[in-house]
Amino acid sequence: MVEITVPIGPQHPALKEPVNFKVFAEGETVVRLELDVSYNHRGIEKAAEQRDFIRVVPLLERVCGICSHSHGTAFVKGIEEIMGVEVSPRAQYIRTIVAELERMHSHLLWLGVAAHEIGFNTLFMWTWRDREVVQDILEELTGNRVNYGMNEIGGVRRDIPPAQVKKTLSLLPGLDERLVKYREMVRRQETMILRFRGVGKITKAQALSYGTVGPTARASGVDYDVRKDDPYIAYREIPWNVVTSNDGDVYGRTVVRIGELAESLGIVRSCLEGLPDGPVTVDAPKKAPTGEILSRYEAPRGELCHYIRTNGTDKVDRLDIRTPTLANWTSVAVCLVGQNIADIPVIVAAIDPCLSCTSRMAVVDTEGRARPCLSCTSRMTVVRGEDGEA
Amino acid sequence: MDPFFLLLYVLVFPGFLFLAAYALFLAYLDRKVGARMQHRVGPPLLQPLADFVKVLGKEVIDPRGVDRPAFDAAPLLALAAVMTAFLYVPVIGPSPVAFQGDLVLVLYLLTLPTVALFLVGWLSRIVYSTVGGVRAVTQLFIYEVPFFLALLAPAIAAGTWSISGITALQAGHPWFALLQPIGFVVALVGLQAKLERTPFDIPEAETEIVAGPWTELTGRRLALMILANEMSLVVGAGLVAALFLGGPSVPAWVPAGPVAALAGFALFLVKTIAILLVLASVKVMTGRIRIDQLNDVGWKYLANAALLQVALVLFMGFWGVGT
Amino acid sequence: MTEALTLDQAKAVLEAFGPVAQLRWNRIQVVTEPGKARDVIKAAFGSLSCDRVIQMSTADVGENFELTYHLTGPHLTVISIRVHIPRENPSIASVHDLLTPAGIYERQIHDLFGIVFRGHPNLARIILNEDWPLKEYPMRKDWKPVKGTFYGGIQEEVR
Repeated sequence: MVEITVPIGPQHPALKEPVNFKVFAEGETVVRLELDVSYNHRGIEKAAEQRDFIRVVPLLERVCGICSHSHGTAFVKGIEEIMGVEVSPRAQYIRTIVAELERMHSHLLWLGVAAHEIGFNTLFMWTWRDREVVQDILEELTGNRVNYGMNEIGGVRRDIPPAQVKKTLSLLPGLDERLVKYREMVRRQETMILRFRGVGKITKAQALSYGTVGPTARASGVDYDVRKDDPYIAYREIPWNVVTSNDGDVYGRTVVRIGELAESLGIVRSCLEGLPDGPVTVDAPKKAPTGEILSRYEAPRGELCHYIRTNGTDKVDRLDIRTPTLANWTSVAVCLVGQNIADIPVIVAAIDPCLSCTSRMAVVDTEGRARPCLSCTSRMTVVRGEDGEA
Repeated sequence: MDPFFLLLYVLVFPGFLFLAAYALFLAYLDRKVGARMQHRVGPPLLQPLADFVKVLGKEVIDPRGVDRPAFDAAPLLALAAVMTAFLYVPVIGPSPVAFQGDLVLVLYLLTLPTVALFLVGWLSRIVYSTVGGVRAVTQLFIYEVPFFLALLAPAIAAGTWSISGITALQAGHPWFALLQPIGFVVALVGLQAKLERTPFDIPEAETEIVAGPWTELTGRRLALMILANEMSLVVGAGLVAALFLGGPSVPAWVPAGPVAALAGFALFLVKTIAILLVLASVKVMTGRIRIDQLNDVGWKYLANAALLQVALVLFMGFWGVGT
Repeated sequence: MTEALTLDQAKAVLEAFGPVAQLRWNRIQVVTEPGKARDVIKAAFGSLSCDRVIQMSTADVGENFELTYHLTGPHLTVISIRVHIPRENPSIASVHDLLTPAGIYERQIHDLFGIVFRGHPNLARIILNEDWPLKEYPMRKDWKPVKGTFYGGIQEEVR
């Protein structure tokens, strides 16, 4: 059969962010794939080298809208370790609460998007309505629905008053009920099972050798979760479990994410109920001693690594970010070959791609003025019209 | 029939004007019911009309190198086919233009919109539309056999090939939906597939191939194609209502004349809206399946069920049971 | 979960390649030559039972580039393998056959630093846009945008 090129991207209804997959297909089966992730590149790593520690935290939060707290916290805890600053327990708990709320809103978003990819818009509408509950909680706690701005070197910037603790706790049981319903629905809805089971399957050995992280890897039975392997903030003190599955396909990833939603709810509840007293921030020095650290964090999409080098000044010497989506791209590229075109959006959505995280590079003005980029959206304005002349 | 009244029937009520108005109303109902089920508000009553008028006024964009006359003609072909088919569906009583075999004619006319869609997809010269057009025709092959067989069964049982005849028969007779439940279910599923609604909206899979064959339709072409789609819903629902639910046929004790016509019309509305509610619920409750999975389901279950139904009808007819 | 690796266990396997040090309770680093990087990775995967790569981090430290492979395994200890690559004609053997995700990571490092990975099947652009001029490596410390060069975005003539 003749090989046709189906351009998936840079603009495509299946993609929430621009990425270019050039899919070469014979009939309905994919034979080859070419990847280009440059569209959201904004120069954050380079920009971070020019900002002192107070200014760089808001920059890093804007690497991604959905996992903004992940980047902020990963950086801040790394710098605190280099400086030797001991953060107060209350601040650690507050960071954990915001981190787990972020995980919940991200997984609910993913559930809706995955349902939308298979045309099941009802689940999309329902999960996003429940996500609004989480967003309202976040707005009350932090003042914003995305890019929370809670972190600073030495602690958090805002406290949670007791009235808010009570109110948040009262909203959680409703969410719990909905999660039970979603778990049931995924188990029994025939079209979801038809479209998710057996699609994009990777074995445990493949998951390890491709370097997959996060729910994608845990769905294949790989028991790695940075919150357990290398505990940080309050995860050592709260009881919780790692959720894994042995299915390895998109169905397994759905089950794992719903399980993680329930676990996150439990963690938020434990943290709110056991919030220790004390200050929310401690004084931190302006300059960091020379050193380096590999700061690992479990973002909603997987393991996020910030490799930080400092050189005794108040700026970072090198910040190297490896996002979970970049780690998972290999598995997507490999397991798309041989699948149906109809499954491409499902498989891509199953790793929960966050392209703003993946490409973080500079727009440099032609006149040479380096402009700081604080927006999450792509500045690549040259759009190739792929209208039939592949 | 008096030529003047015939003209009125065909053009105004229950002909083309009524068809257009009812199509827009059913589109509204479909979207409203779906929205409420999804915990949303849904559109106001005149939304489909507003959409139609808006799209009609948009710029018509021709992709480079497209065959303009054919591209213009395809939506008109679809529209004409659907409107003609509606003339044979009984709305207030037997259709004045009914004849033996008009069932076959209607079924044939109802396949033309899909062929027009394939044509549009092929002519658009863009890979999304081509894939979509091919999927539309593949889907046509898969569901046509069970759909036709399921609609054949009432014709065999009634002993007539005229839709109006089959409808008239059900006036004093239990509905074929009760006598042939398997056929009824297969007909509803086939109707959902013909109208390309979830779980069978494979040709227009938004997240996979942008909009399939609809991608390059713009302006008045898109408006007419959407209208043809909405009219197909009316015609399809009317057809299934006529063959399985008795359509507008009223019991014998209702006096003939305007009262019977009015009662028949009311029954027609109720039955088609009921069918629409079933189709809308199915649309909201499911996700989209793949074309190869439709192949499985279509040939393994639908076709066999339809064959079984026809066999049952023949069997019972042979033994003189039923009609 | 297996026990964390001790410094002695790591030294026993990796001492031959270069100095081994414990940087953190769960991170052990070995500094070695670029030519021996592949052997160290093989040793880590074999004798130290590492089973995946976390990150390939790079930094510009003045006289040379520092490339570090971070590996880990069921023992939950991170083994960092550090090599120094000279600034002039930086190149190192690719490890994409040993670590599959290195295919993407090496392309990104090549785009940003200009390090050539010998043996990589397709060192094409991945993270910089297609209009980015060749031979300009933005993450090097001495890189400054050159006035008048087109780096991407809308060009005035193309309206």
